Amino acid sequence: MKIIVPVIGLCAGILLGIKSGIVLPYTMMAYGGVGILACLDTVLGGVRADMEHQFQMRIFVSGFFLNGIVAIGLVWLGKQLNMDLSIAAIVVFGSRIFYNFSKIRRFLLNKRQKEAMIGEE
Amino acid sequence: MKPREIIPSITVLCAILGVLMGIQYNTVQSQAASAAGTDNVRLTELSAELRKEREEREALEKQLDKQAELLATYEAGETDDAALKSLQKENEKLRAFAGLSEQTGPGIIVTMDDSKKDMGGDKNAYLVHAEDVLKVVNELFVAGAEAVSVNGQRIVAQSGITCAGSIITVNGVRVAAPFEIKAIGDASVLQAALRFPGGVVDTLSPWGIVIDIREEASVTVPAYTQSALWKTTEEGEDAA
Repeated sequence: MKIIVPVIGLCAGILLGIKSGIVLPYTMMAYGGVGILACLDTVLGGVRADMEHQFQMRIFVSGFFLNGIVAIGLVWLGKQLNMDLSIAAIVVFGSRIFYNFSKIRRFLLNKRQKEAMIGEE
Repeated sequence: MKPREIIPSITVLCAILGVLMGIQYNTVQSQAASAAGTDNVRLTELSAELRKEREEREALEKQLDKQAELLATYEAGETDDAALKSLQKENEKLRAFAGLSEQTGPGIIVTMDDSKKDMGGDKNAYLVHAEDVLKVVNELFVAGAEAVSVNGQRIVAQSGITCAGSIITVNGVRVAAPFEIKAIGDASVLQAALRFPGGVVDTLSPWGIVIDIREEASVTVPAYTQSALWKTTEEGEDAA
């Protein structure tokens, strides 16, 4: 199963991040959180697009960078306006993550079903 | 199904995601650690440190006393020499002037205490403030007081009287009401300096602040006990 490769990448990344010992300053914490959400959203979006055979590298890469920039910009703007705009980013990314995840889930379940049907035939 | 071009890019992204997560984890952990720092552990640690510092200060004070004693024996050493004698005299005079020696003489003792009255309004008006003490001390010096102390703290050139919450600090030592201000000098002049119309007593008495002035034939003003360390001042030419 090729799905294992990204998982290994994720684990390696986590290990690298922890071992690096980099600690963000307190004021950067909100940016880090939103960045993680944007990243997670992009990954799930990419997987879903792949499953729907609509995966396009351009959209995937540009989505990753631009979503991240917009999210971080939103947090920054919120700080300037003394308004917690990071909540907007969190809600949007959160709901998108759930949406993408549900799509992936459905796809996987349907695939199983189809496979089962194939087996029956 | 077409070949999965997605795998490498997803892997890279997952790795980035992982690094971000790891860094965020570190950050959160360090935040939690510093938040836990305010807990009891830190508190007991700090209080232990405070105790240690206090002990150290006591030891240093003892050492200072010992050194002062040593200095006194040197100064009291055999002195047949007239020049040495005059130097000693000069030294004594300067020490008295600088507030480094205990002084005894006629003078007054002023006791200031917070008001017992409460006529409403600002509660602060019924308390003795650092400014009030400062005013009294200033008036006493203006009236020619030779030595002044507040609650056992000798007022010298380096002395500061300042507000520190509900108490005041004199020479960096925290003192609280009632304030006992001792002054050596002409008792009647000193009294008059405080009592004149529009003076300190006059302006504070409406608030019920207790200012008791006692003339004494013999007032003892203690010496300045803080060590005078000249860290920043270069030794200049003697003015005398």
